Amino acid sequence: MAQAVQKLVAKVPSLIGAAVTYSKPRLATFWYYARVELVPPSPAEIPKAIEGASNLIKGFQTGRLGQTTVKDALRNGLVATEVLMWFYIGECIGKGGIIGYDV
Amino acid sequence: MAPPVAVSPLIKTARYSALIAGIIYGKKRYDHLKPIAAEERRIEEEEKKIKEEQDRIAKQLAEANEDTILK
Repeated sequence: MAQAVQKLVAKVPSLIGAAVTYSKPRLATFWYYARVELVPPSPAEIPKAIEGASNLIKGFQTGRLGQTTVKDALRNGLVATEVLMWFYIGECIGKGGIIGYDV
Repeated sequence: MAPPVAVSPLIKTARYSALIAGIIYGKKRYDHLKPIAAEERRIEEEEKKIKEEQDRIAKQLAEANEDTILK
């Protein structure tokens, strides 16, 4: 038992090295996309967001939204679902756990 | 590799405001549920003690009743 633990402890540096070598290019790809796509909005972009939201509401009022193609509607539905999921991720962070409340 | 997509500001604001709203909601709900759970635990403890007491009394009675000389 002690020998097995010793062998494992001796292997840990090489395991860590292998993990780093494996994850470096993947982290680089992730960072490459996340730096552009996942950044929070800068203060300059918030008025544009409000403008976009009001465009959406105006489009709904004029009935222009009834002319979106099914493909566009599905795509927008997926994007909306993704935005909703961020809410649930925030809830998991706020309640300090993944499944259920730890009361 | 495909170049990264320029995400519309509306989607970015919506995502991060949803995240912050979720964190606030989770924290508020947790703070709301914690005292309720503590109260329920306390009530359960008390009822368990009472039930244990009754079981003890019932056991003693049962032992006393089966104490006959016919054994």
